[in-house]
Amino acid sequence: MSDFSEELIESKTEDDQEESYVFSGTGMSFPWLQNHIGTIATGGKKEKDFAQTTSACLSFIQEALLKHQWQQAAEYMHSYLQILEDSDSHKRQAAPEIIWKLGSEILFYHPKSNMETFNTFADRMKNIGVMNYLKVRLGEPGGGFREGTDCMEHWLWCKNNEYCYRKYLLFVYLWGICCLWTDEDDYAYNAASQSMLNHSCKTSVNLGALIQTPGVWDPFVKSYVEMLEFYGDRDGAREVLTNYAYDEKFPSNPNAHVYLYNFLKREKAPREKLISVLKILYQIVPSHKLMLEFHSLLRKSEKEDHRKLGLEVLFGVLDFAGCTKNITAWKYLAKYLRQILMGNHLAWVQEEWNSRKNWWPDFHFSSFWAKNDWKEDKTLACEKALVAGILLGKGCRYFRFISKQDDEVLRKKIKRIKKSVENHSIVNPGL
Amino acid sequence: MDFPSSLRPTLFMAGPLGLSNVPDLSFMCSWRDALMLPESLPENSENGGPHMATQLLWEPETPGPLPLLPPGPDPWDPGVTAQDLLFRGGFTFRRKPRAVLDVTEQLSRFLWDHGDIAFAPLGKLMLENFKLEGARSRSKKKTVVSVKSLLQDLGGHQPWGCPWAFLSYRQRRFSILGGPVLGKSVASLLGELLHEELAVRWEQLLLDDAFTGGALAWVPGRTPQVGQLVYPAGGALDKLCFQEVSLTSSGAAQALRDPGHIQLRGPVRQVVTRTVQGETLLAVRSDYHCALWKVSKQGQPAPLPVLQVRKGATGISLSPHLPGELAVCSRSGAVCLWTPQDGLQQVYKDPETLVFCDHSSWRWADFTAHPRVLTVGDRTGVKIVDTQGPPGCGLLLFRGGAEASCQKGERVLLTQYLGACSPEPLHPTLHLICTQFSLYLVDERLPLVPMLKWNHELPSAPLWAQLLPPPRPGCPRPLLLGAQRGHLRLLHLTGEGASAPRLAGHPQSLPSSSDSLSAFPLLEPKSQWRLQERLKAPTIGLAATIPFPASEPVLSLFQLSAAGDIFHQRLRLQADPGATLHAPTASWTPQATAFCSRWLKALLKVPPPPPVWAAPTFSHRRLLGCMEQRTGEHKGPEGLRAAMAGGRLLQQRDLGPLPSAEPPPAPEPGPEDELSARLEAAWEGQMAAWWERQQGRSSGPSRPSKRHKRRTQLSSTFSSLSGRLDLSDAISPPHSPDRASPEAKSQPPVTPPSHESTQELWAQGVPSERQQTLRDYMAKLPLGGDSPRGVCSSLSQSPSLQATSSRSQTLQERTAELPPRRTTLRGAAVSSSQTSSLRATPSRQRASVPSGSQPQRKKPRMGF
Repeated sequence: MSDFSEELIESKTEDDQEESYVFSGTGMSFPWLQNHIGTIATGGKKEKDFAQTTSACLSFIQEALLKHQWQQAAEYMHSYLQILEDSDSHKRQAAPEIIWKLGSEILFYHPKSNMETFNTFADRMKNIGVMNYLKVRLGEPGGGFREGTDCMEHWLWCKNNEYCYRKYLLFVYLWGICCLWTDEDDYAYNAASQSMLNHSCKTSVNLGALIQTPGVWDPFVKSYVEMLEFYGDRDGAREVLTNYAYDEKFPSNPNAHVYLYNFLKREKAPREKLISVLKILYQIVPSHKLMLEFHSLLRKSEKEDHRKLGLEVLFGVLDFAGCTKNITAWKYLAKYLRQILMGNHLAWVQEEWNSRKNWWPDFHFSSFWAKNDWKEDKTLACEKALVAGILLGKGCRYFRFISKQDDEVLRKKIKRIKKSVENHSIVNPGL
Repeated sequence: MDFPSSLRPTLFMAGPLGLSNVPDLSFMCSWRDALMLPESLPENSENGGPHMATQLLWEPETPGPLPLLPPGPDPWDPGVTAQDLLFRGGFTFRRKPRAVLDVTEQLSRFLWDHGDIAFAPLGKLMLENFKLEGARSRSKKKTVVSVKSLLQDLGGHQPWGCPWAFLSYRQRRFSILGGPVLGKSVASLLGELLHEELAVRWEQLLLDDAFTGGALAWVPGRTPQVGQLVYPAGGALDKLCFQEVSLTSSGAAQALRDPGHIQLRGPVRQVVTRTVQGETLLAVRSDYHCALWKVSKQGQPAPLPVLQVRKGATGISLSPHLPGELAVCSRSGAVCLWTPQDGLQQVYKDPETLVFCDHSSWRWADFTAHPRVLTVGDRTGVKIVDTQGPPGCGLLLFRGGAEASCQKGERVLLTQYLGACSPEPLHPTLHLICTQFSLYLVDERLPLVPMLKWNHELPSAPLWAQLLPPPRPGCPRPLLLGAQRGHLRLLHLTGEGASAPRLAGHPQSLPSSSDSLSAFPLLEPKSQWRLQERLKAPTIGLAATIPFPASEPVLSLFQLSAAGDIFHQRLRLQADPGATLHAPTASWTPQATAFCSRWLKALLKVPPPPPVWAAPTFSHRRLLGCMEQRTGEHKGPEGLRAAMAGGRLLQQRDLGPLPSAEPPPAPEPGPEDELSARLEAAWEGQMAAWWERQQGRSSGPSRPSKRHKRRTQLSSTFSSLSGRLDLSDAISPPHSPDRASPEAKSQPPVTPPSHESTQELWAQGVPSERQQTLRDYMAKLPLGGDSPRGVCSSLSQSPSLQATSSRSQTLQERTAELPPRRTTLRGAAVSSSQTSSLRATPSRQRASVPSGSQPQRKKPRMGF
């Protein structure tokens, strides 16, 4: 941990003390302000020559990178290293980060670079104060994870101290990404392997601490739950997943609910429980592919409001532009509409339809889509035609177009559709 | 729709930046960017080495973009620069630079250029203290000053900056008398307003959001190789042009035929096009109006209703899901959805900004994956609003704060829904959000946590973005990002289905129009400078298309500049860029350089922007005739020769008085060569002739408009004074739409009264009738009560809109009467009712009123 650069955190303070740029109350900062001012400055104290050359060099590097001139960028980089001797402490402290960032980018794309150069570069960076554990991962997969785990422990104790907390968060952040570099598969494999088992005790403590920090920790949560399940700690796993899904400090991450649902499904939890998890997912992402599963669960439920929600969910899925060609959803809707209308729940359908009747016809059932769907996917067209017929009546463009088509294979099906529409259309329920 | 099964780990910090209990993580952004990089490593990175990563490089075919069309006939003026607004010199270098507005210089310029406006009302008040006649005053009051003697004392010299200015006791008395009044009122009343105006202009220079979204659109034709470019043209950008363009596989883009056009009554700010269910729609945003056209398969636009936005429209977007649906947002904070069935409905209204308080009234709206859910954005954040839900509710999608680890002072400049791009969207739920520092990709299913953040490092504001279809099947999708000063970035987005979106390869910068300078022949400095200015003109629109999606990956890119030029460049996707060390450099083809020199010739034929307006001068001496020394006119060179022969210092008395028509110190130095010409003339002793020439030239046709422009630039704030004095209304010819017509151009403009009088007097030289002339002259000064009044109430006129159905050659000509361009945004927001800010005017209702029958309204003064 001795390599952990303190300067990185301190470097902020100097800038803070300086009067921040606020102009006529806008509060907006403009990165191109200096350029404008530079065009008119005729006198006064100028930037030092050294600073001028280094900043010019930096812009050359950036330009070369953006033009994919890796060779040139490398040459400029060679000169840019002089910034490490800048007398301006602010710049000197910020420099390693810039060098590391640009240097690794150059080496990443440079056709002549290889792992060896990369390692040498990373070793040098260590000497000028960049956290070196980032490099470890590049050398050996999985190594970064282990080292990170050790560091993690070191930092946990100081969580109460505010100054330390900042560092801790920075660390968690960087370490998390460091772990990401470890391929998930690698980790899954390693977690099961003997070498990793030695570490797993520590890891469980540390991972547990990490995933309690607000954030998106999908790979870690997945792996952690896997590990807990591996040890048979199902209650622990459930708790982790529940916290991850329901803690208010976390962003509303749909995956958290998906993981919890999948876990409960593996556990063969009661349907009621599954429905309650998916209900929340439905509120967050009504277009999620699990919604069709949710619908199946609701359809089978005995409760009337669940069956009503089942219809709502299907309509909700089909509201989204990315789901318009989801044949399963259309199939479910066609089937369920008939079922519901046979069960004399016309009001449910009308309630859903009322908010959609002014845009669904153009969105789903226009003549453009009728032609297009028929050309691309006849089964989809048939399902949609049935729904269109039920919701809009026989006169609707989509239904008329499909019912006029003469297709040998689908003739029977179309006939059936026509009959269903006759019987169930909500437009003239009396007839 | 698949949601990424596993998201990238991110620390989530809620709340605003800089709160004590929340660590400011903005400084870690670059770390995160750097650390995102190895993600594009291929699976077998252990043995392959890092450079195995797939690289995507679009190689430009020419070193820079080329103009597509010959330059337009209107001269272009680059407008104010930082040099005009900021205090020059004496800057100490700061890490955080600070701009200081130079109010003093502007104020003194104003007093010189618009002394009538500044002093006339006071002059009128003080009339009783002045004695205009030459006769001796009977009253012995000390408070009455004789104008004659005062002017005599001034001696025709204008003591601005003149250390030898001699002060007589009369002058002293005058300054004691008038000093407090003049100084106070001008400084206090104008100074504050001027400062405000300069601040607005400076902000506009730093960020001009009027053209957010871009005023150039590519309307696809029947084949991908043929399409129409839709863009505004003309000096006022009020002519909407439809230029058919064909893209050939071998050479450059070809403009077919002359463009059809629709004349509008306001500047076009944004042009949006979208093809939904086979129907192509075109939406245009002007400052106070939005219009919609349906483009037929043959490329003919047919008008649909026009919307009026009282408070000024800031953004318009077309629905990617339902044909004809349109979202408009206005400066009042309202967002309206227009649908063919239900017409206009307000779906959201909040005059406050979303996340924290920000003064900007810029608003933006776009669609989402759900056709009835919109995004509403302002400078501080972006919100998702359900148009069918209860009003006011919504969910924050993006917050300019700790959630996105924003920097201090970071503001949203552009938001765009990326899911609309056909054929198969990347993720139909992705939104692009650009700030002045970074680019964010946000998924509407996971609000507040950006899926991707990239530091774009653009040296000007990114205001245009376009996601393109993949150049080859399976390729990542190019995302084009354009900034105001013509800078372009090309990124590649990948990640479909269950993987999170990410960048593929290193982003690329593309050549901008200023890189094309080398294609033009070398010119003498003045023309070279003009060409350079023209090429550096800010971009106001961007359009790109991949014309041969099946065969070869070529990207055709069009850029519209504020000068009205369209630049075109082609980029070819390089086959195997990974193997090369150096990115290949393109060179100019002979055809390209030949085309450029032709274009340049045409450009140089365009009359240059009229010379800088100079204050009118009044030759007091001539009027009063008491300093009559006309004989001294040719004394100069002789005196000089005598002095040189005598080897002594040249003195004022050798030269005689200065040429009486000597202009006052010009507020802005004219073009350099004018000065040299003048010096040359002076040296050869033809100073007077030169001045005569100069006078003749500068009072040419373009002068009044220039004067008008200059004035509006500066005086738009001084609305409090405009009621009394409105010279510009009386003198300037009406602007658009007649501006483009040749009749209007050939008409000699009316000379400003002050000029007229000056020149007449200059020509005649009437010392004998000086009393009478002086009286006339004074009568012409705007002290009288008969100056035009009441033209300033243009805002209350609430210009209506009308559409005519008269057909022009190819297109339906449509004249919409829009209010003229307003230079200050603030001025626009001052008056007009709070209630319905948008009103739909069905074009059919008004179609019966032909545009010609509308009485020619006096051109309202901008900002007044």
